Amino acid sequence: MSLWVDKFRPRALDDLHYHQGLSARLKSLAASGDFPHMLFYGPSGAGKKTRVTCTLRQLFGAGVEKLKIDQRVFLSPSKRKIEVNIVQSNFHIEITPSEAGNYDRVVIQELLKEIAQTQQVDLNAKQRFKVVIINEADSLSRDAQAALRRTMEKYMSNMRIILCANSTSRLIAPIKSRCLLMRVAAPSDEEMQTVLSYVARRAYFDLPPEAAQEIIKDSGGNLRKAILVLEALKMQSPDLSGPLTIAKPDWETYCQKVAVLIVTEQTPARVMEIRAKFYELLSHCIPPTVILKTIAEAVVSQVDETLKAEIMHWAAFYEVRMRIGSKKIFHLEAWVVKVMSLYKVRLFLEF
Amino acid sequence: MPPKSSQAASTTAKAPKKSKPLAKATTIKLDVAPSSSSSQSQRFNPLTAFANTPPSNTSGIPKPSQTQKSKGKGKEKETPFKALAVDAEDDRLWVDIYEPTTEAELAVHVKKVQDVRRWLDEALVGGPSGKLRKYRRILALTGPAGTAKTATMRVLARELDCELLEWRNAMGEASSSIFEDDRQPEGSGYNYNSDQENPFSKFEAFLTRASTCQSIFTDTDTERDPRLSSSSSSSPSQSSRSSSTPTRPSATKRKRQIILLEDLPNILHAGTQARFHAALHALVASEPLLTPVPIVIIVSDAGVRGEASDERMANGAWGRDKDGVLDIRTVLSKELLHGPYVTQIGFNPIAPTLMKKALQALLSAHFASAKGSAPSKETLDIVIETSNGDIRSAIMALQFSCVVEAAPSGKKGRGKTSKASAAGSGGSKLVLEAVTRRESSLHLFHLIGRVLYNKRKGDPANPSATAKDIQKDRELDARLKNPMGLPEHLGAEVRRTSRVDVDLLYADSPIDSSLFSLYIHQNYTPFCTEVEECAGVAEWLSWVDSSGGEAWYQANPHRFHLLTMGTLHSLPSPVPRRGQKLFKPEFFDYLTKEKDAWDAVRDVRGWIVEDAVARENEGWRLGGWSRTEVATGLGGVLKARDAKQTQTQAPGSHRLFSSLPFVSGGDSRGLSQLGEGDLPPSDNVDVPDDGGARGGWAHVEDVDEGGGWLDSDDIEDF
Repeated sequence: MSLWVDKFRPRALDDLHYHQGLSARLKSLAASGDFPHMLFYGPSGAGKKTRVTCTLRQLFGAGVEKLKIDQRVFLSPSKRKIEVNIVQSNFHIEITPSEAGNYDRVVIQELLKEIAQTQQVDLNAKQRFKVVIINEADSLSRDAQAALRRTMEKYMSNMRIILCANSTSRLIAPIKSRCLLMRVAAPSDEEMQTVLSYVARRAYFDLPPEAAQEIIKDSGGNLRKAILVLEALKMQSPDLSGPLTIAKPDWETYCQKVAVLIVTEQTPARVMEIRAKFYELLSHCIPPTVILKTIAEAVVSQVDETLKAEIMHWAAFYEVRMRIGSKKIFHLEAWVVKVMSLYKVRLFLEF
Repeated sequence: MPPKSSQAASTTAKAPKKSKPLAKATTIKLDVAPSSSSSQSQRFNPLTAFANTPPSNTSGIPKPSQTQKSKGKGKEKETPFKALAVDAEDDRLWVDIYEPTTEAELAVHVKKVQDVRRWLDEALVGGPSGKLRKYRRILALTGPAGTAKTATMRVLARELDCELLEWRNAMGEASSSIFEDDRQPEGSGYNYNSDQENPFSKFEAFLTRASTCQSIFTDTDTERDPRLSSSSSSSPSQSSRSSSTPTRPSATKRKRQIILLEDLPNILHAGTQARFHAALHALVASEPLLTPVPIVIIVSDAGVRGEASDERMANGAWGRDKDGVLDIRTVLSKELLHGPYVTQIGFNPIAPTLMKKALQALLSAHFASAKGSAPSKETLDIVIETSNGDIRSAIMALQFSCVVEAAPSGKKGRGKTSKASAAGSGGSKLVLEAVTRRESSLHLFHLIGRVLYNKRKGDPANPSATAKDIQKDRELDARLKNPMGLPEHLGAEVRRTSRVDVDLLYADSPIDSSLFSLYIHQNYTPFCTEVEECAGVAEWLSWVDSSGGEAWYQANPHRFHLLTMGTLHSLPSPVPRRGQKLFKPEFFDYLTKEKDAWDAVRDVRGWIVEDAVARENEGWRLGGWSRTEVATGLGGVLKARDAKQTQTQAPGSHRLFSSLPFVSGGDSRGLSQLGEGDLPPSDNVDVPDDGGARGGWAHVEDVDEGGGWLDSDDIEDF
């Protein structure tokens, strides 16, 4: 099986449905023979990875689609084994260093050195260099980023690096300045509509425009999410008519309900209750940042205008602490209690 | 301060050698400062406290009439006096002299002894059916130090008429004793001679020899290899190498043997640990002989204290093999521990009643033969109270107290005023407390309670408090100063003086600040009445967790203090008593669950990706699924798929992260309550630094053992 998201993904730059300007530029870059290091950034579900793979195909031809998955073992300084899955073709290699956790620096260094020191032996290859794709580059530790920076300069002749990140704010400046920055913005509603109907056509059915609108509204510019929802909907009601209930992931509904809990009662007992919910969410692998963001948005939609700014301010405040600290639950809870006490004071003032 | 007082002690100790008047003069001079300071502070520096009493000792010792001094039997601490007053034959500690020899003398709970005895019985004979023998290969005795684990073993071995083969690590002696000829020059313990086996090979050889070739072993090998000192059970207290040749019974009847591993190889070293595990594994897995020799491993639990673990955690190297704590889970591998061949019997701290009985028996035995008077009942009570169930330390303290108590009565005999003797006995109490008080004497339960009940000066007494407690509180209050007034705009921050001494708490805390914060976090809410108070505590928790930098050396060293004081400041005063219960943090349970869920995410991701790889054409689209995307994005589709029953099913484990039903109330959780007797988890269990956000499995994996461990006992619905 494969999901529609994967199945109907455009394979060449020409097939892409939106950001034509970007596609044209990538195409000419690939043709120029002076391909730089690149940093693709933009919100999730905007099509960064799709563009990266399309660019690769443009650079190396169809050979880049012949992939194999390797499991590599690295040794940390303390002789601990780190297993990392690596996807590679003859022309490129793709890693998600965050899989190595704290040891991402080791993985990055070893791997890049290895690739950089081996020249392309395939004489028929279109390019002399290999490409390293680093996913989730914004979760690279500072150490790893520093290691990357030197390698990028040193092995420029053999290797190009393509970084994928949601935002550039967590990348150190030297890396940003060594890359060509490519912003991949989220698609507009119309563009999403086009893509969705394209997917529907490929899947041999007609997508009613109302349903498409509904999906787009729900997805918030995340095309991956939109297509996943479409697939789920199609599975639930094959004709896609009548009132649609968009199958949200459980955790989203859950977050909404937690927000209701926050607004309805402000007592220490309720704090306990919400803590249990947070633990539940965290243990379902929902990133704490996502939890905080989702719940904050849900709370904001339910409170008085004057409180909104403050609630978001504190959400941002505790999000920063969450990144520095190690026990996420403390910060989530601190935010909730803060919001509760703010809300309570407001209620008190009203009466 | 300490150097000065030690100087005082040493001077007084030397005093007898000098002429008397001079000695006296120096003592008085040096003695003034320590005594005044120690009477003010509550805690006693052992050195200062000791320095208080020597005047009486020094004046008492040179006396020819040594009636009282007869109790000061050659203790190691008293080496200066040895030449003067000690008869040579009693050169041992009471712990050794009065080691229990029969089951009745053991201070261990009868049931525990029975458990061990049954196991040994099953291991040696095979139990009632005779078939259990196969599975009784390794017995692990665990428990805090001084809970008579070894003593029980020795007593039982004696009663069952077995021989204990004990492994002893040879530190550096290998080169000197075995390979006399090619010894290296002085000072270097190394010997790189190629035909010398390394210590661990010796251990392995010991294991195999002891377990397989027992008949030859007992006859000849013991003499040859000095490290295999098998102390014969007929003289259990003799563990020195001099008696390494066992007193053998008549050649016809061979004694059954038990291998005792107490002095383990350095298994904190990862490589050695692996080999140790492998050796035990091989031993157990091998086809048992006709008469397999059971192995008994004795491991004392050690607690972790201080900030070290935080630093390690921040360092990222907080793996189990790194944390430098020897406990049963490092000694035995997981498979063994959960396998059928290993039985674990945990010893508890010795109950005060049992200990009292044992100590009284000891005293009566001692003073039946020796002259002198037994220490007072109060002394005995203090010894028992302060020993925390550690009978070894209790006996040591008792022996010491007998020496100390002797002093004031000697004074009296010389016609000093009764006032001085009263001060002297007070002093002996001080000394006793200083000597016997064990370090981590504050239970976790009390620590958390002390903080969360937030007692302040002038709090109304608890209705259940006894008159003594009230009196104590009043005395404490009298000593506490009132805080300086605050300016008006800070009026909301005014609190009465706290009765909690944070420094003392910190010194006595059995857990590090990171674990402490988890406990506070778990328990603070019931102690608050308003959300604002919660906000204060939560803010402090959050601040403390995020203060300091990324590296361990940037960690904030004041976390414990800040958190405690912040919590005390935020909590209401007085805290309303609603029968709050204390619970263990749920944190670890959820961490375990999270780890499982991440495994499920990996499964599902593999399911998507591998499928794509299987088809040539789709293979190029890979890696686009990061774990977070799988966890957050796929829920809807997976649910729909489950509902549809499509032919290709996603791995069923995906429900671990995709299915999240909302239960309102959330009161059905099982929480394990923190009990009075609960010891802090001695493992360095902690949050994966950064691991949660980045989903590093490498970290979360390590946590699960510890997480599972916390919920050991009474789970109670809350």
